Amino acid sequence: MKNRCPHTGLRITTILVSMVVGVVAIILCCCIFLFLDRYRSAMVQSAQTSSAQAVSQVSNTVGNYLMDMDQAMQLVKQSLLESTDSRDELLSAFLKFRPDVVAVTSYTSDGTLLDCWSPGREPKEHIFRNLSFDLDRARTSDGAFMTAPHVETLFEEYYPWVVTLTAPLADGTEAAWVSLDLSFASISSYINNVGIGQRGYCFLMDTDGNIIYHPQQQLIYSGIKSEDTAALAALADGAYADDTVIYCVTSIEGSDWRVVGVSYVDELVNRNVTEMIRLSFLLAIVVLAAALLTSWLLSQLLGRPLRGLADAMESFETDADHFTYRPVGGTREVQELSDSFGHMVVRIQELMTTVREEEVNLRKTELKALQAQINPHFLYNTLDSIAWMCEQGRNADAVKMVHALARLFRISISKGHELIPIAKEIEHAESYLQIQKYRYKNQFTYAFDVDPACLDYLCNKITLQPIIENAINHGLDLMVEEGHIDVQVKQDGDDIVFRVQDNGVGMSAEQIEAIMQRGPKDRTGIGIKNVNDRLKIYFGKNYGLHISSEPDVGTCVEIRMPKVREGDHETK
Amino acid sequence: MKQNKLAAVCAALALTCLCGCASEPVTSTQHSVALVAKSTETEFWLSVFAGAEAAATEYNVKLSILGPETEEDYETQNQMVAQAVQEGAEALVFSAIDYENNAAAIDAASSKGVKIVAIDSNVDSEAVSTYIGTDNYAAGQMAAQAALDRVEGELKVGIVNYDISSANGQEREWGAVDTFTASGRAEVTAVINTLAEARQACDDTAAMLRDHPEINVLLAFNEPTSVGAADAVEMLDAADRIFLVGFDSNVVTVDGLQEGSVDALIVQNPYAMGYLGVESAYKLLSGQGSGLDRTVDTSTQIVDRNNMFTMDSQKALFAFEQREN
Repeated sequence: MKNRCPHTGLRITTILVSMVVGVVAIILCCCIFLFLDRYRSAMVQSAQTSSAQAVSQVSNTVGNYLMDMDQAMQLVKQSLLESTDSRDELLSAFLKFRPDVVAVTSYTSDGTLLDCWSPGREPKEHIFRNLSFDLDRARTSDGAFMTAPHVETLFEEYYPWVVTLTAPLADGTEAAWVSLDLSFASISSYINNVGIGQRGYCFLMDTDGNIIYHPQQQLIYSGIKSEDTAALAALADGAYADDTVIYCVTSIEGSDWRVVGVSYVDELVNRNVTEMIRLSFLLAIVVLAAALLTSWLLSQLLGRPLRGLADAMESFETDADHFTYRPVGGTREVQELSDSFGHMVVRIQELMTTVREEEVNLRKTELKALQAQINPHFLYNTLDSIAWMCEQGRNADAVKMVHALARLFRISISKGHELIPIAKEIEHAESYLQIQKYRYKNQFTYAFDVDPACLDYLCNKITLQPIIENAINHGLDLMVEEGHIDVQVKQDGDDIVFRVQDNGVGMSAEQIEAIMQRGPKDRTGIGIKNVNDRLKIYFGKNYGLHISSEPDVGTCVEIRMPKVREGDHETK
Repeated sequence: MKQNKLAAVCAALALTCLCGCASEPVTSTQHSVALVAKSTETEFWLSVFAGAEAAATEYNVKLSILGPETEEDYETQNQMVAQAVQEGAEALVFSAIDYENNAAAIDAASSKGVKIVAIDSNVDSEAVSTYIGTDNYAAGQMAAQAALDRVEGELKVGIVNYDISSANGQEREWGAVDTFTASGRAEVTAVINTLAEARQACDDTAAMLRDHPEINVLLAFNEPTSVGAADAVEMLDAADRIFLVGFDSNVVTVDGLQEGSVDALIVQNPYAMGYLGVESAYKLLSGQGSGLDRTVDTSTQIVDRNNMFTMDSQKALFAFEQREN
């Protein structure tokens, strides 16, 4: 019963928790991954859209500015048709209202500078090189054209960066072309204020990839920054995203200028995505924690009653007699299981009681049968002895014998009780010894040593008599010299110990074994085995009979039984 | 039960991690950088300041710009260094008037934990984390070579330099003298150290030219001396006779280049110096200083009458952003 096999299986808690958490974790991971992937592409898309919107706004504004300049050019053209005085007046008024026009210049058909109007400035006498007019280009182009940025070189100590808008004039005037030098004041105010995200910006370039205006133009001119304008010039209008940068290119209608929007994926997208990742992980952890808690609670709900049941079964297994079943609560299944177990416990305990009762009854019947068997034999021997005493006129002895016999039978019947007070049992043993002493003609002596405190406790009836009978038959009968029997009754803690000691021939181990095993069939009288069996049935396996013997020295039989008082054991 | 505890510990750990991530500060404190220049007047320095301010805006740096009135006043510079440190500058972008006499002030600043970036002109201090500027010796060689390439026959060279204790001026002079000596057909006739101020430079140059009428090549090693030399050449009406190589871009010298009084200009990149100086200071302060080189050579180019209006020369000569001056 002790060597149970060790449990190798997993607890229900472990299985449930790991399964639920595992499944939830996998599903969560998949969901988060899918979600983030979608989210990122959506973010990139929206970043591209917002970039495209910003760029198209700039493109519109700059387009308007250019149209404005075209109109201004028309105005200048018309002014040039006027007489010299009104022309100067008109142009100075024009320059006053157009602060971003640095200079208006007109050229003859061979490219010579004819006139120059600029607010508060006169051109140098010797112009080393005029970057504002390109005769070759003027001749080849059909209408008005715009130059790349260059330095204004017409004036002394004044070198601003400008772009030049040159237009041909109608035939019939002295001047063949007119140019407007435009500073970047207006364009910079449009472009510098455009932000896409935190670091994104717009710049202007022409179709050849020359930068017209860049918010960080000086950095580019100083060689610290650069834009890959060659690659951008090759791109058609639209948005282009790579891992880090979104480029958005839009042409300005009616010119060869293009607006390029540059924004950074990391700040527009990655920050949001990082935020999302953080959020999703927080969510995932909350969900996982919830799953963990739920599964743990669930397993507690299932596992704890099951464990309770298992504990109950285990304790039932170790001590079925004293087990009282307390029902285990829990789910319906567990309750059903618990109820079944409860019924089973009751049933098993009933069965056990029945079995024990049957056993007791069996022994009682056996005892009665044996008594019925022994009595006549013992009775006629004793009656023979009494008759013999009467014949010899030993009336007093005969009376004693008759009394002893009467006591013997009264006690052995003892109203059918199995347990009698130890005093009675001692009386019974003494009566038997008296009778046997007469019969064996004083071949042995006997003595009783009884602790008076023991007398009131109960013991099985006819416990001592079979042992004394055995001592007389096996130990003393064969002896030549006088034998002696000592009967001792002592307390030993919660137990009472009977000891029957003789100084007879003793027994070998095989003989002891035979006595302990042999049933009463092969001989008359109640066997020692019967005594031992009854003790064990009544008081449990810790109690019973023990024989120790040494050949030619004697035999000692020790009987151990618990202290039992009147009423304690009546039910059994 | 044990496993549950483990799980709880894991969860708690993950949560704290997340909280840690979340609470990680995104905004860093604004660093304070002081730029101590040699001067606050010349176009060269204004361009440096423009570059520095561009970098300060880009990197969100609090920038203060200081500079003495004259380019010889190293004592005021030292005071300005001390003042900037006292006012809480975490890094100095510094251009030394005096290679040796500015060293103590820089060492003192460095001992208070201030990072030092040298631009334009270096200082004799171990505390300088990086030097950003022109390779002055090479620039001097370039100036000499420009004269050697364009003037035939014997060269009688007059050198107009500024303060003798300034590192970059001396380096340029050595580079030029070495190149002339190596050529075998040039002789340095006279060297003057004048003030870095156009009028004084003009007077001194004119005096030198009167003393040594044989001089046919003039070298001036910074912006004010170049302007002064150009004025002197024009004043003496010697534009045809004298080949003047100046430094840096100034409207006067650019006009002179077109009119003939100036024949070549060695143009440095002051905007880049200012920008890279503040950028390096920011990197030093934000812990990215390990990637910085000991010296960063900003570009230098020769501009003469023939190439002055190419796109590259325009970019080098003329500031895009118009300044009120």
